[in-house]
Amino acid sequence: MILLPEVISILILNSLFFIFATIAFFISIKIAIYWDFNKSTKEQYRLEKESFLVSTIIKYIFILKIPLFLFFIFTLDKISDLITGAMCASGVITATSYGVYLLTIKLLNIYIFGLWLSISYLDIRREDLPYTKIKFELFIVAYIFFIIELILMWLMFSSIDIDKIVSCCGTLFSSSSNSTIGDIIRIKQSTLLTIFYITSLLLFIFYRYRVKYLFAITNILFITISIISLISFFGTYIYELPTHHCPFCFLQKDYYYIGYLIYTLLFIGSFSGLNSGVMEALGEDASKSYRYSLIFNSLYIVLVTLYPTIYYIKNGVWL
Amino acid sequence: MIILKDIVKEYDNIIALKDINLKIDSGELVILKGVSGSGKSTILSLIAGINRPTLGEVIVDNRRVSKLQDRFASLYRRESIGFIFQKYNLIPNLTVSDNILTPLIPINLREDEVRERLDKVLKEFNILDKRDIVVKNLSGGEQQRVAIARAFINNPKIIIADEPTANLDEVLSMSFIDIVKNLKDNKKIIIIATHDPIFFDLDIVDRLIEIKNGKIL
Amino acid sequence: MKKSKINLYLLEFSINALLRAKAKNISILLIFTLLVALLSSIFFISNSIRYELNSVVDTLPEIIIQKVKGGREYDIEIDRVDDIIAINGVKSVIARVWGYYYFANAGVNFSIIGINQYEEQYKSSLERLTNRVDFDTLEANSSMLVGIGVRDIMKRNYYNRYFNFIKPNGKLKKMTIAGVFRDDILLESNDIILMSQRDAREILGISPSMATDIVVKVANPKEVSTIAEKIKFIYPDTRVVTKDDLKISYRNIFDYKSGLFLALFTISLFTFFMIVYDKSSGLNSQEKQEIGVLRAVGWSIDDILKEKFYEAFIISFISYLLGVILALFYVYILNAPLLRYIFEGYSKLKTPFELPFILDIETLAIIFFLSVPIYIGATIIPAWRASSLDVDEVIR
Repeated sequence: MILLPEVISILILNSLFFIFATIAFFISIKIAIYWDFNKSTKEQYRLEKESFLVSTIIKYIFILKIPLFLFFIFTLDKISDLITGAMCASGVITATSYGVYLLTIKLLNIYIFGLWLSISYLDIRREDLPYTKIKFELFIVAYIFFIIELILMWLMFSSIDIDKIVSCCGTLFSSSSNSTIGDIIRIKQSTLLTIFYITSLLLFIFYRYRVKYLFAITNILFITISIISLISFFGTYIYELPTHHCPFCFLQKDYYYIGYLIYTLLFIGSFSGLNSGVMEALGEDASKSYRYSLIFNSLYIVLVTLYPTIYYIKNGVWL
Repeated sequence: MIILKDIVKEYDNIIALKDINLKIDSGELVILKGVSGSGKSTILSLIAGINRPTLGEVIVDNRRVSKLQDRFASLYRRESIGFIFQKYNLIPNLTVSDNILTPLIPINLREDEVRERLDKVLKEFNILDKRDIVVKNLSGGEQQRVAIARAFINNPKIIIADEPTANLDEVLSMSFIDIVKNLKDNKKIIIIATHDPIFFDLDIVDRLIEIKNGKIL
Repeated sequence: MKKSKINLYLLEFSINALLRAKAKNISILLIFTLLVALLSSIFFISNSIRYELNSVVDTLPEIIIQKVKGGREYDIEIDRVDDIIAINGVKSVIARVWGYYYFANAGVNFSIIGINQYEEQYKSSLERLTNRVDFDTLEANSSMLVGIGVRDIMKRNYYNRYFNFIKPNGKLKKMTIAGVFRDDILLESNDIILMSQRDAREILGISPSMATDIVVKVANPKEVSTIAEKIKFIYPDTRVVTKDDLKISYRNIFDYKSGLFLALFTISLFTFFMIVYDKSSGLNSQEKQEIGVLRAVGWSIDDILKEKFYEAFIISFISYLLGVILALFYVYILNAPLLRYIFEGYSKLKTPFELPFILDIETLAIIFFLSVPIYIGATIIPAWRASSLDVDEVIR
């Protein structure tokens, strides 16, 4: 267990989230079971009031989760200084067996909470609160995911043991090998790029023809392939180093904080894409989601494509 | 038009209202007469959408007010209801203008529109020169006018007054009645719950409804 | 477009609402500001000390070799230098003579460093000194150079021109103060005494064939760990410490300490959470009535919640800013009286030094995360309770 101030801050805030989310969870169960908008009972009115508490709690957690996620990456970066052999945050993530899952579920939860708020936004703007039951059922699922995230985070932080390193000297630690990232790098780059651009093309096609759900599903594919190709291919052009496969270093000043732009585009693009699926499923107007998704995803594609292109123009060779 | 249909209202197993059926047309001035605790204030709350009946429906201009969720109930109150409270219920540390504008805060209107509306009600209730005075420094009569001005800032269709003269001396009560007379000309629905006999034989009153033990007599 | 704009009317209303409950809010603001100031001070002090220590470590050689028996350090044989210099990639090897001298009268530790004029120095600051000062003369006169802190302590004990060291055999060794030096890095140079190696051996009780430790300079930083491994292989009875190891352990000590403080802080934070929770739950009848009226004139539950959020954000953000400014003043202008000693650890044994100014976004972020969201969190449930009051009952 490391008692880094950053880690403690993250744990304190997450304990607070845990308490609030648990309150919200119990209310959600009540609502999922007893909600009936047509009833005029005192219980129904109480549920309506309690639903506001849950929305407030989820808003609170979601709004903090985003900066806290960045802070989490920062912290991993700092821990990497403490672990000999880990060069940056990615080293820390792969240093324990939970890291990659933790990161994935953290991202997933941000999407889930965001979609929840999107549904809720529509819900309270309709006179008969049509989605209240659905959104609270969804929160029950989200809560389970959230608990898994907390457990994984706890496991990860407690499995990083720096006390051991303190008493040891450099001779005990050689540079760590990153297995998961290694797997990703081993996929052939040409295959990866083909998939990436085909997926991009599919986005445009499904946008043009508004194929229900397919656009959202393609977005899931797109975010996955985007991250993999970013690590394996595009990232190396940002660093201009064929061996540097890191999804975090370009968040740093040395690369003009370009990572924030990259991830913001990618997040808004894919979130809107997923949201389009949810809107379709609820029979709501999804055109805005389609549009935002396409705009931001396209910007992302252009941005990452620019890096190798400019490199090629400048140097006349590929990395 | 306001319709109350088969209303029953219970508070913790105490029946506050029972079998209330009532229809109020636009332009009507209705007095709900009854001792305190008779249920007349509850009827006002139901019409204003700040409380909901246990059974039955409240329908205002074809909308089921009794079934509105909070967001829409608030919207309805803001747009259609002007509430005049027994104790004015102003915020004593705010100025006259700030008090009158409280209903508008959540909708975040443009500044010129806010000013326009404010000037209109300030003029209408003759408190233009008091606009920047902190409310607690005003006389009772002036406070009353501020409270009414606040009820009018949204130009509501329905005015609801709960014991408006309970804390007023005779002079102020008469001035209130003058204000009501003016309103009557504007085709608004006015509902006043009171046990003050001063209202009972006014010629402007369209209907006098007596409430006793939660029932209309 | 209207909707996305910040609602200035609501903001103004919230500020007025805060001012209306002046007594209650000022006391909360005060406590919270102090709490933030305390937290910030702890971070600022530990950052500054860590920075100092890191700069000390930076000037150190790549590898330090100590002899270890039974987990304790012993003097190391000087002739090992020859074997180590033979390893490929090693630039230079120096056997150091140094140690601590406990001055009982003042209850202070001095660091004695023995210098050999003709040897290469393991640190650039020492290198500069040996170029300026003739250590042969120092040796001939049994005299020494002292840091400012040392000079002050000696003066306070009436040693103005010389100092009597007690040797391991109990006899006295009189050393003349030849001069005072000041290094760029305050923390390090403050407690240092420089003298010739012969005198240092005499005072510390190190025999001529031995040294305190051996330091190794390596030309290529990438080879450090390989060379460290080789040395460990040749001399299994040694502890081989690289510069990175030192840096990490220094860092850990301070992170651990500020972590410990953070753990304590958590408890006070929790207490504060309860205070805020309690204070914002306890609505008096006037406040209840006010909310009732707002609801009656058309505010929704969400509007009330938003207003309460504005209040909480304003008060906690002001506290955050005030707390950080207060801490900056306390730590860097007043030089953190009281608190710093807890951090220095060896506090009383060390002579005072100034804290260098270090301020980074990351620290400000931690302080922010631990203050503003926690405060706002504490008001969620009370705010919701207030917003869902039965309007009907409170306005009458």
